[in-house]
Amino acid sequence: MTGTTTRPAEAAVRPVAASATRRAGLLALRGAAVLGKRLLMLLVLLAVVFAAIELLPGDAASATSERGEGAAGLAARRHLLGLDRPVWERFADWITALPTGGLGTSARGERVTDLLAAPLPNTVLLGGTAFVLTVLAALAVGLGASARPRGIVDRVVDLTSTAGFALPEFVVSIGLLLVLSLWTGWLPAATVTGADGAPATWSMLVMPVLALTVPQTGWNTRIVRAALADQAATPHVEAARLDGLSTGRILLRHALPGAWPAIATGIATSTGMLLGGTVVVETLFNYPGIGTVLAGAVADRDTPVIAAVVACAAALITVVLLLADLVRARTLGARS
Amino acid sequence: MTAVVVPGPRPARPRTRILLPVVPAVLLVLLAMTGPLLAAHPVDKPVTAPYGTAGTDTALGGDQLGRDVLSRLLHGGSALIGSALIVAAVVTLLATLLGCFAVLGPRLGRLVERAADTAILLPPVLGIMLLALAWPGGGRLAISVAAIALGTPYAVRIVASAAAPLATSGFVEAATASGERLGHLALREILPNLRATVLALFGLRFVDAVYVIAMAGFLQLGPQPPEADWALMIRENGPGILLNPWAVVAPGLAIGLLAISVNLAANALAPATARRAALR
Repeated sequence: MTGTTTRPAEAAVRPVAASATRRAGLLALRGAAVLGKRLLMLLVLLAVVFAAIELLPGDAASATSERGEGAAGLAARRHLLGLDRPVWERFADWITALPTGGLGTSARGERVTDLLAAPLPNTVLLGGTAFVLTVLAALAVGLGASARPRGIVDRVVDLTSTAGFALPEFVVSIGLLLVLSLWTGWLPAATVTGADGAPATWSMLVMPVLALTVPQTGWNTRIVRAALADQAATPHVEAARLDGLSTGRILLRHALPGAWPAIATGIATSTGMLLGGTVVVETLFNYPGIGTVLAGAVADRDTPVIAAVVACAAALITVVLLLADLVRARTLGARS
Repeated sequence: MTAVVVPGPRPARPRTRILLPVVPAVLLVLLAMTGPLLAAHPVDKPVTAPYGTAGTDTALGGDQLGRDVLSRLLHGGSALIGSALIVAAVVTLLATLLGCFAVLGPRLGRLVERAADTAILLPPVLGIMLLALAWPGGGRLAISVAAIALGTPYAVRIVASAAAPLATSGFVEAATASGERLGHLALREILPNLRATVLALFGLRFVDAVYVIAMAGFLQLGPQPPEADWALMIRENGPGILLNPWAVVAPGLAIGLLAISVNLAANALAPATARRAALR
C-alpha cells in the first residue's frame, strides 16, 4: 500500500511539506488498517472452510480405501494422513505452512503443490485472458452506451448486458460449440494437450475464453454504465458539458476518473464469479487446468486439494480487492 | 411472481412497461411447472436408439440411453425452478429480517458487513463443492442450503443499504423516543417501507439461484443421474453432441431462456434504488 501514500502529497500540497508528510503518514496508517482487515477476513474464511470440511461425515481415508480393506488398515492410513489429531492442531499446521508454499499432502499421498503446479499456468492463462478481455470490453461498451444516455445503443446494451450476465457459462459454451465448432467447423470442440501439458494450439483457448467473457462482460458493463451515470450527475461533469466540451472528452477526462473506484470495486467483486466459471468451462472443454483437478478431488473427497484451491482463490480475490482499495485511495486522495 | 403490486419509483412509469417484461418469465415458469403433464413418454425408459435422431415419435430425438429428450425436458424444469424459488424466498426472508435489525443495531450491522466482506472471498462454485463434499447424498437439499448460505450475506447488505436512510428518519426516531422495542421498530416501522426493495431482491435472488443450482447440476453435485434435470442432461449428453445435438441444445436453450426472462422480469420490477444497491 505504500505506493498510494506519496501520490496525493505530491499532487496537492507540495509547498506545505510538514502537513504533507503528516497526511502521508495518515494514509499509510489507513492503508495498513485496510490490509490488516482484508488479511484477517482471509484468515477467518480459511478457518471456516477448514472447519466445514472437518465436519463432513466421511473423510479422505475412507473415500480412497480399497474394497475389503480392514478397519486396522483404515486406522493406520488415517494416522498416516494425520486425521486422528485434533482439528485446531491440523489447522494451525496448515495455515502456518501456507505462506511457505506448503499446501499439504493429498489423500493419495502426492504433494498438493506438485498436483497443482502443472495445471495452474493453464488456468492462469485462461482466467487472465478472460479477465483482461472482460475489463476492456466492459469499458468500451459501457462508455459507448454512456455517450448517448437513453439512446438506441444504450437500450440495446442495457438489454443484452442484463441477458448476458444471467447466462451460466456452460450455456454460453454450448452456444459457442454449436456455432463455432459443429456448424462452421472453425474451432476444435475439445482441448488436446501438448507434450508440455499446455493446450496444443491457441485456437483451443478461444471458446473457453469467450464462454467466460460473455457473462462477466454483461455484469461489468452494467457496473461501468451505472458508475458513469453517477458521475454524469455530478456538478463538475455538468460544468464541463456547459463549457461545450465534446462528449468523448467529457466521458474520458471528466466522468471516467471519478468512476474508477466504483468500476474497480465492481470488477474485483466479479473475480470470484470468473474463477467459479473457470471450473465449469474447463470441465466442459476438457481443458487441462485447476478445474479438472478440482472435479477429481471432489469425487475423492480430497480435503487438502480442495482446501488448497479455496485458499489460493481466496488469496487471489483478496489481492484483487486490495488493488481495488488502492484505486479508491488514489482517486479519493487526489481529489481531497 | 406477484408482479402487479409493485409501485415504480415514480407513478410516471407506465404499468405496461413493467408488466410486459414479466410475461415471458411467468409463461416459462408455468410451462416448466406443468411440463410433466404434457410429457408423452416416461423419463426413465428408452424409447429409441441412444442419441437417436429426431423422428415423428420423438420430436427432439433420444439421449445417451435412448430416452425421449422432449419428455425429459418437460420433466426437468420443475425441480430446478422449484428449488430456485425456495432458495430465493428463504434468502429474501432471512436478508429482510437481518437487514431491518442490522440498521438499528450497530453491532449486528458491523457483523453483517464483515460477513459479506468475508463471503465474497469464496467463489460460489467452490462453496458448493465444499458443501457437497461435506454432505454426501445431500443432493438437491445440500445445493439449496449452500445457495442460501452463500447468497444471504450479500442480500442482507442490499436490504441494509435500502433501510439505512429509514433508520434515521423522523418516524422511526419518533417511535424510538416513545420507547418502542427493537422488534417493533424493525418489523412495524422499517419493514413496511421496504416492499419494493424486498420484491426486487426476490427477483435478483431467483436469477442467482437458477444460476447457482444449474451450475451445481452441471457439475453433478446436486441431482443424481436417473433424474431428469436440465443441467444434468447437458452434462450427460455432452459426449453425443455430434449425434443428436438436441439432447444438449434443448436443455441449454431452456436454462438460457429461463435465466434471461427471469432476469429481465426482475430488472423491470426493481426500483432504480434497489438496482443500484444490487450493483454495489
